[in-house]
Amino acid sequence: MRPLEGIKVLDFTHVLAGPFATRLLGDMGADVVKINSIARATAINATNNPYYTMWNRNKRALALDMSRDEAKRIGKDLCARADVVIDNFSVGVLDRWGVGYDLVSAVNPEVIYVQMSGMGQGGPWSDFVTYAPTIHALSGLTHLTGVEGRQDIGIGFSYNDHAAGLHGAVAMLAAIQARRLTGKGQRVDLSQFEVGVNLLGPALLDLFSNGRAARPAGNRLPYDEVAPHNCYPCAGATSDDIADERWVAIACMSDDQWQELCRVMGEPEWSSAPVYDTAAGRVAAIDELDRQIGRWTAQLDAVEVMVRCQAAGIPAGVVQNSIDLAENDPQIAASDFLMTFDEPNPVIGTTYGDRLPLTFSLTPCDTYTRVRDVGEDNASVLSDWLGMDNEDVVKGENAGYFV
Amino acid sequence: MPQEVGALSKVRIIDLTDERAIYGAKLLADLGADVVRPEPLEGDPLRQRGPFCNDDPDEPSLWHAFFASNRRFISLDLETQTGLDQLTGLIANAEIVLVSEGAFGTSDLDLDVAMRVNPALVWIECSSFGNEGPWKDYVAPDLVAGALGGSVSTTGDVDTPPLKAFGDLNFVVSGCYTAIAALSALYHAKETGQGQRVDVPVHQCIASCLEHVFMWYWYSDLLGPARGRALERRGSLHWSNMYVVMQAVGGTIMVTPTPDIDAQLTWLIEADEFGDLFEPEYQDPANQAQFMARLMEVLRTFVGSKDVEALFLEAQSRHAPYGWVLPIEKVGENPQLEARDWWHPYSIGEHVVKGPGTPYRFSQTPWQMKPYVETDVDAKRVLQDLGWDNDR
Repeated sequence: MRPLEGIKVLDFTHVLAGPFATRLLGDMGADVVKINSIARATAINATNNPYYTMWNRNKRALALDMSRDEAKRIGKDLCARADVVIDNFSVGVLDRWGVGYDLVSAVNPEVIYVQMSGMGQGGPWSDFVTYAPTIHALSGLTHLTGVEGRQDIGIGFSYNDHAAGLHGAVAMLAAIQARRLTGKGQRVDLSQFEVGVNLLGPALLDLFSNGRAARPAGNRLPYDEVAPHNCYPCAGATSDDIADERWVAIACMSDDQWQELCRVMGEPEWSSAPVYDTAAGRVAAIDELDRQIGRWTAQLDAVEVMVRCQAAGIPAGVVQNSIDLAENDPQIAASDFLMTFDEPNPVIGTTYGDRLPLTFSLTPCDTYTRVRDVGEDNASVLSDWLGMDNEDVVKGENAGYFV
Repeated sequence: MPQEVGALSKVRIIDLTDERAIYGAKLLADLGADVVRPEPLEGDPLRQRGPFCNDDPDEPSLWHAFFASNRRFISLDLETQTGLDQLTGLIANAEIVLVSEGAFGTSDLDLDVAMRVNPALVWIECSSFGNEGPWKDYVAPDLVAGALGGSVSTTGDVDTPPLKAFGDLNFVVSGCYTAIAALSALYHAKETGQGQRVDVPVHQCIASCLEHVFMWYWYSDLLGPARGRALERRGSLHWSNMYVVMQAVGGTIMVTPTPDIDAQLTWLIEADEFGDLFEPEYQDPANQAQFMARLMEVLRTFVGSKDVEALFLEAQSRHAPYGWVLPIEKVGENPQLEARDWWHPYSIGEHVVKGPGTPYRFSQTPWQMKPYVETDVDAKRVLQDLGWDNDR
C-alpha cells in the first residue's frame, strides 16, 4: 500500500509543471487519470516523446476530445467524482470545456480544484503565455543568476516548472487535509510567476527594508561572509568540449574549514597571508583567493579533490553532469535511484526514469508503470470512475469523443 | 465565505530543520499548521544569515524572518534533564516531526521511543545523501549539493564557471519534498492511524528536478543532431535551442518563436523583418534545423532594434511567451503582483517590511502571516500547551 491510495486525481495538465505535480501524486499511489486526446498529443505532448515519458508515468490515460459535447459531459461526470481536479492551461480553457470551477464545485462541493496558470487568475497579465524561461525572466531569477555585468545567463534548465509542480503537490495535499476538517473542497489559484518571485524572498525583503537591489553574485553568497565558495577547474577533461570540462565546488562555511583546506592543499605559502585568516579578509581578497585555489585544483582530478576535502570535513563536490550522475555517482547507484521501466514503450521501446526521492518506511513507493498511450486506459477508467460498460466505451471511441 | 483558518489548522509540527529542509517547514507553517521551532539557548544559528533589517547584523535576520515565518520559537537547554524532558514532551504532543540530520536536538531523539509513545507520529528526516552509501557522511551546503546533484553543471556560460542559481534553490527543492513527504504520510496516518518515517535525501531530490538532464542522457539519439549525452552549459540557450535571452533597446528579453512558429513568422512578415527566411534553401523540410537556427538569428536582429518593454507587451498580445528580463527592483513594482495584491507586510520585531506573498491562494482557508518575533516569547505558551504549569 502506498500513502495516497484512494485519492482520485483528474489531470488536465500538459508540458512539465502540472504533469510533474501529478507524477508525484501518482508515484505515491493516487489514482491519477491523465486526460489527453489524439488531437492534442503532438510534439512534447505526444506519448512517445521522450519529454512526455519523463513526467507522465504512474498515471492512467483517458482520451477525451474536449471539443465534443459528449466528451465535455463525460468530463463533468468525472470531475463530480474526483478528489482533485488540476490543470495548468491558460486561464479560461477549462471553463470553455465545461469543467470550470463554478460548474464542477456545484456538482462536487468537496472537490480540490487546482489551477496552475502562468500568472494566476486575474490581473492585467493573467492572459500572458509563459513557459519556465518566461517565468525565470519576469521573476528576477534570470537577472540574478549569472555573473556581474551579464543579464543573459539565468538558470540552465526549467527550474521553475519543477518548483511550481512541487508547490502544486503541497497545495493539493494541504487542501485535502483542510477538507478533513471542514468537509468542503476549495479552489487553489497557483501562479507560477508568484512561485518564482517567492523564491527570492530574502532578497525582496532586503530590497524593501534596506533599499538594496540584489545583483548577480556568481557562486558567492550575496549576504554572508563565506569564502572560498566557488567552482574550480580540475584536470581530466577528455576533449575541448565544454561539456567535458571537469570542475569541483568547494565551500568553506567556517574558519575551521578554511584551515582544513589549507592543510589539504599542503599549506602553500600564499595561504598563510594574514588577510586570509578571517572570512571578511577572504571575501575582500576573493579574486586572488579563487585564482590560487584554482591553480591547485587544476592539477588534480575532481573526484580526488572532493574525496580529500570531504575526508577533512570540507564541503566539496564534483560538478556532475548527466554522465557523472548516471554512470559514476556511487550514491545514486547505491540507492538504485535510476531505473528502467519493465514494459517498453510501444513506439520508442525502452524507457527510463528517476525514482521518487522519498523512502516511506511503512508504505514504500516502488511501483512504476510506464507512460500510457492516449486512451489506453479508457475502459478501466470509465468503468472504475463512472461504472460505464465496455460497449459504451467502444461506442464513444467509434464516435470520436474518447479519442 | 472563506474561513479564517489555514489549510493545516490544528496540525501540530515540531521543526528541527536546518537550511536543507527549513523551506518545507515554512510551507507548512504558512499553511496554518502550529509549527514549534526549538532552538539552543544561544539562538538558532540561522538567525545569523543575512540580509538583516537596517543592514545591521544586530537587527533581525531577514533570511530567518522569511524562512522561519509563522513559527513559535522555544529555547531549550538540552544539557539539562528539564530541557530534554521539554523536547520529549514536544515530540510526544506532535503529529509531525521535521528533522534535518545533525540539526539542533536531533541527537537527543529516539525515533523508536517516539513511535511507541505516539504510533501515528509522522517523522520526516532530511539528510544530504541518505543514511547509507559511500557519501552518507559528506557535507554539502547548497552550492556543493547543487554541484553533486546536477543543477550546477547546467548553468553558466562558456566564459564562466558552472554556476549555482541565486539563492538556496537546491534546498528549496528538498524543502518542498520534505513538506510533500509530511503531508502524504499525514494523510496515510489519518486514514489508518499508522505513522511512519520518511527519508528525504537532498541529493536525489535535486537530481529529480533537472528537466532535460536525464532525458538528454537517455534519449540523446532521439533528440536531433548528436551532441553527446551530456549537454554543455551555454548561457540562456535552452536545450531545445528555441529559447534564449536577446538584447533589445533598454534591456534584455527572453525570446522564443514557440509554441506557434507560424504566428511568429506572421509577425516578422508584418514588420517586414523576415530576412531571407523564405529563401528556397530554408523551405526544404529536410533543412528544418537550419531554418530554425536562421529564424533565431533573424529574431536577434528583429529584437535588437525594439524597445524592450514595448516588445514584451506586443509579444504577449500575440500570445508569444517572451519574457522581459527584469531586475529585482522592477519585480518589486510589477503591475501583475500589485493588481493581485500579492505583497504582504512582514512584522519583524519593531519593523514592518513589504515582502513576498504566498505562492498559492486557497479560496476557503486563506494564508496568514503572523508577526515574526526574535526571541522565544511563545515558549511559556508552548509549554503550557504541553501541560507544564508555571512552577514546573
